[in-house]
Amino acid sequence: MNKPAHYALDNCIKCSICTTRCPVARVSERFAGPKQNGPDLERFRLQGLAAAHPSIDYCSNCKNCDLACPSGVEISAMNCRAKGESVSAQGASPRDRLLALPELAGKAGCAARRLFNLAARLKPLRGLGEKLIGINAEMTLPAFAPKTFNKLYYASRPAPLDRKAVYFPGCHVNYHKPLVGMSLVRVLERNGIQVIPGNFQCCGLPLISAGMLSQAQKLARNNLDKVQKYLDRGYPVITSCPSCSLALRKEYRDLFEMDADGGIGSRVYDIFEYLGEMDHKGDLDTNFQRLPVRAGYHQPCHLKAAGCGSPSLEILRIIPGFQVTDLDAGCCGLAGSYGFKKEKYRISMEIGREVFCAVDAAGVSQIITECGMCGLQISHGTGAEVLHPVQVLDLAYGNGHRVPK
Amino acid sequence: MRTERTQVVVIGGGATGTGIIRDLALRGIAGIMVEQGDLAHGTSSRFHGLLHSGARYAVKDMEAARECIKENRILRRIAPTCIEPIGGLFVQLPGDDPGYTGRWAEACAQAGINAEETEPDQVIKSNPVLSRNIIRAFRVPDCAVDGFRVLWGNAASARRHGAKIITYTGVTAIHQNSGSITRVDLTNRLTGQVTRVQCQAVINAAGAWAGAVASLAGIPVEVIKDKGTLVAFNHRIVNTVINRLRPPGDGDILVPHGAVAIFGTTSATVDDPGCSEPLQREVLELIRLGKELVPEMESRLLRAFSGVRPLYKRGGEARGRWVSRNFALLDHRELDGLAGFYSIVGGKFTTFRLMAEKTVDLVARQLGVNSLCRTAEDPLTIAVPEDLVSRGKRVFGVPGAKMAAQRLGESFSRVMEEVGRFPEKGRLICECELVSQAEIEQVASSEDVYNLGDIRRKTRMGMGTCQGTFCGLRTLGILGDHPRFTGDHHLQLKNFMQKRWKGIRPVLWGQQIREAQLSVAIYGALLGMERMK
Amino acid sequence: MIRKKTDLLVIGAGLSGIMAAAAAARAGKKVMLVAGGEGVLGLTSGCIDLWGYRIDRKDEFCPGPREEIARLVKVSPGHPYAVAQDALEESIDFFLAICGEKGCSYRDNGGGNWILPTSLGTVRPTYLAPDGMAVNLTGFGRIVVVGFTELKDFFPGMLVANLTRNTDLTPGCELVSCMVSAGGKEMGPNTLAHRLEQPGVIQRVAAGIKKFVYPDTLILLPPVMGEDLHRDIMNTLSGELGCLAREVTGMPPALPGQRLHKALLGYIKDRGVEIVAGCTVKSAMVSNQHCRWVTASGAGSTMQILAGAFVLATGSFLGGGLQALPGKLRESIFDLPVETYGPEWSSADFLSTGGQPFSRFGIKVNNLLQPVDKKGYPLLENLLVAGSILAGCNYPVEKCGGGVALSTGYKAGRLAGGMTCE
Repeated sequence: MNKPAHYALDNCIKCSICTTRCPVARVSERFAGPKQNGPDLERFRLQGLAAAHPSIDYCSNCKNCDLACPSGVEISAMNCRAKGESVSAQGASPRDRLLALPELAGKAGCAARRLFNLAARLKPLRGLGEKLIGINAEMTLPAFAPKTFNKLYYASRPAPLDRKAVYFPGCHVNYHKPLVGMSLVRVLERNGIQVIPGNFQCCGLPLISAGMLSQAQKLARNNLDKVQKYLDRGYPVITSCPSCSLALRKEYRDLFEMDADGGIGSRVYDIFEYLGEMDHKGDLDTNFQRLPVRAGYHQPCHLKAAGCGSPSLEILRIIPGFQVTDLDAGCCGLAGSYGFKKEKYRISMEIGREVFCAVDAAGVSQIITECGMCGLQISHGTGAEVLHPVQVLDLAYGNGHRVPK
Repeated sequence: MRTERTQVVVIGGGATGTGIIRDLALRGIAGIMVEQGDLAHGTSSRFHGLLHSGARYAVKDMEAARECIKENRILRRIAPTCIEPIGGLFVQLPGDDPGYTGRWAEACAQAGINAEETEPDQVIKSNPVLSRNIIRAFRVPDCAVDGFRVLWGNAASARRHGAKIITYTGVTAIHQNSGSITRVDLTNRLTGQVTRVQCQAVINAAGAWAGAVASLAGIPVEVIKDKGTLVAFNHRIVNTVINRLRPPGDGDILVPHGAVAIFGTTSATVDDPGCSEPLQREVLELIRLGKELVPEMESRLLRAFSGVRPLYKRGGEARGRWVSRNFALLDHRELDGLAGFYSIVGGKFTTFRLMAEKTVDLVARQLGVNSLCRTAEDPLTIAVPEDLVSRGKRVFGVPGAKMAAQRLGESFSRVMEEVGRFPEKGRLICECELVSQAEIEQVASSEDVYNLGDIRRKTRMGMGTCQGTFCGLRTLGILGDHPRFTGDHHLQLKNFMQKRWKGIRPVLWGQQIREAQLSVAIYGALLGMERMK
Repeated sequence: MIRKKTDLLVIGAGLSGIMAAAAAARAGKKVMLVAGGEGVLGLTSGCIDLWGYRIDRKDEFCPGPREEIARLVKVSPGHPYAVAQDALEESIDFFLAICGEKGCSYRDNGGGNWILPTSLGTVRPTYLAPDGMAVNLTGFGRIVVVGFTELKDFFPGMLVANLTRNTDLTPGCELVSCMVSAGGKEMGPNTLAHRLEQPGVIQRVAAGIKKFVYPDTLILLPPVMGEDLHRDIMNTLSGELGCLAREVTGMPPALPGQRLHKALLGYIKDRGVEIVAGCTVKSAMVSNQHCRWVTASGAGSTMQILAGAFVLATGSFLGGGLQALPGKLRESIFDLPVETYGPEWSSADFLSTGGQPFSRFGIKVNNLLQPVDKKGYPLLENLLVAGSILAGCNYPVEKCGGGVALSTGYKAGRLAGGMTCE
């Protein structure tokens, strides 16, 4: 990787706040912390040395370091670069490759859905999987959906409307939780906007987190070009996954210097950001049904890192009868594919313990969160039911097949 | 009071002094080298860190240029671990005389310096911080050199061959009898211990203090003290030396140095040989000049530092750069009727070994010693075996191991052993420059180390981004059992932080004022050090 | 672009910013708080310094900080205390109430300062100390300083070597240092703090210290004794050893400041304050001396925030509230004039009782905490300035950072709470 800009390296005053806020460093002394692999070693990488602390693969890329930094240093980007150095030198394991390619896994998984979903639940097979591949046996794996979001969307024969918006579903929605996507489609439809599923590839964040930067860069280029084409046609691009959103709006710029002026990124919206703008103009249909539900809200780290708060809470709080408490319990620990790895599972669960306790303490059985992986971790750790906020909105519009508890 | 006896006393522990004591020792001449502060505390620790190719001097001083390129090649051969053979560039910018460029290229060829023209576009692509206005550019065999390491190498080599080196010791008197040197009186500045050294010869290699030393022998040696200020960047903004292609002047050299980059210099005549206070206006002038070369010169500056260039002009009437950069070897028997007293004045770091060779040739001849100079052949540093460095990488990480190996040389294996026995000693004490506890303990128990500053010079602790804010205290903490460091903690810390502060004051803006504010908050608000007893 | 509307926008998540948000929220206002990071309170001692030394004799502790402050504002009317003295008492009470509510209890020393030990072996005067740090060093026959083998930045030997020189202990008081292990290898403060909360660990630590404990012993520990379970593990430790145990102030990062930060943030979140971290305010739209809105950006998006009042609590250079170029100073958002009290930015002594000139740089305000011009006229009516960005305070040597933050922050919140959004 040859990046001339220096991630605001010079801003670092070595206060170590980043390391105090790192969820991984807190529970594991194995990880040297974001400061060391980030701004400390970056000064040496500039000499052309492949400097990365051996514990670099314990970084989960949760971005709590960036958030806590009082100096604006792009710490997580430097840690990703360190990972990139490490992977360039030693290569990535087959397991890490597999976990970094959810699009590939998704296509294969959906094609042989019943087999994979069954295998995922069989203890002996999971035990074997842990021994052979290194994927932890206890962690719940995300189930592959009967039909991908794209298939579902086209099967639903959406009505053509004048106003259009392009949707970037991301791999988790597309292959595992297509109903989230369908909720989004209905919500926008209710507000007079026709959703066009964009023909995007994986956002590449799993590859970035795994240190496979050159592959991620190719995906990034591809995705941005596609986004640009849609923007040129006047269509806004909407995401529902905070990680995909962060990739498009920040990672591509920090790591690959793409979209340097943010012209593309500034026209990519999180769904609730978009609905919030509509609400501000008075365009949002606020004819919600009563939803007498008590839910707990978990803010995903990547959404926190976007520095715009939780746009979903503003809208959800308009729904009559709907009570939502912010769990405010930090990182759930799964961090994408981190918690699936056998040597990282304990760390992931230890980090997530705070969230699980908060769920219990809140006395709710319904959890709301924008991130599919956070949702998976929370239901794994507490048994709670998890919905994406857009699904709640969909229910409030009177859609959906289930009556909430 | 103690008495000692030796053949030669060398006064001054800079590049020249340590080069001389090494040369003497390798020729079997008994010698004691005495230095008033820590090794390299004078000019030899306050320069660009540039091992000249000589191209800078080609037009104005062909002899100096030839000497430089020759010594450049020698030093690269004998001290590879102290030198980064990164090459250099000379770049012509708008406003620089194109005619000079032509003359310069010819002069380099004449001097035997390989100056290869290269495309400005290429140069800018590889070094994006440079000005886009480069008109012509040439590659030359400049190198970056770690002056400290060279000096420690000299000292270690000299000691291995029987020489004695004493630091923190000043010369209080030089005695003569019937026109010959007889004795030198020394006082240890830390302990007050007085020593009388009977000797046959005294070599005055005291750099900017050469005049003061010579006056102890009743001899006038006129040394022009030319103060130069340089600045260090927080990170390595370029990976090759950058020179301005025009007649040598201020603010025209940028040298990468480990994890930082150094830019300089300025020129002003001063009276005090120990003048080491950089001024903000000097820094601002450097920035103004530097912006032509590197438009974003305000990229974080860690500190400024000043050194005094000792320039000799016979007859004493000259200032600044127009004085010859050649060295002057003075045989005071010829000049002033005092046998056994020699002064070596002027010169530059790159040619220290040659200066030492010429000096010792003269002295040896007069002592009747016939052995030849070996300093150009004998390796200065002993490289650490690759497999040991590889093992070190697993403990210290990649850059940590490489740098520790280069710094420690033969001591690296001892450090590795220590960490093998006590893994916690692999802990980083200085996180900015990757210095481990084992390395600091190793260095602290060696000779010549009395305070945190001495440790800093030997390990780079405190020379990185935080400028000692975190590592100074840690170092003092881990040395709790070392007799030299159990004394006055307050004084140790205060002196250390105070010296660091001197260099931070003139660059107090941007991120550095934030760092300073953090440092003041920690030591003031949190630890109350300003009222510490 | 995300658009927000609120009664009060507080810019900055330091002590003064959080106090402002808390005061306004208590008055029932809709409050939003944005910060570029999450705040640097975690780097502080966790104590509240009001005033440390006598104004006329800077090397002597002042017997009563409040009285000293009353004297101070007469001789230094430019000090921030002069414009917030009226809020000082209330702000302290409010602070204590908030902390008490969040289970983070603080104590005063009956009107005088605590004289607390630091890891360096010096002492520092402070007015409010958390339970786990508040202690009078006199009155113990033995002080045992405990270090952890895992922890890099705490050296019991150093504390022991310097303490007797820097403070008066009971005559004959024995100072002993010892090392214990929490079962790890190398741990940062937060890692160690987390570890100490795991079942069985603190008991093992106690067992390692027991043999050093005699009657009348005080145990001094590094500031890493747990996060949320700090109180429990300190009680367990004291219980097992049968003696008092206290944390000292040490090199950052350390836990006491973080615990305080968490408690304060928790309080304002409970009161419905919306906190957006990672969101830096870049510019402001001002007309007729009124700030209408500010524009802020995070990593991914831009936000426009309309508010009736704004509190500028962005900190000095450290916090990013002030920026410096050679010879030029700038307040980052509103371009307010920055007071420097003279041409010198720094003094030759790194650390002296006179302090560094740049510590006092900042924004001048009137009695309503509005920023003023050279003549003293308010530049903005609905902007209040609080905390270390205020001019005239030299907290590293005056030991008044906490008090200035509390009083100015609280007052700003109260005042701003009276202004509504148009």
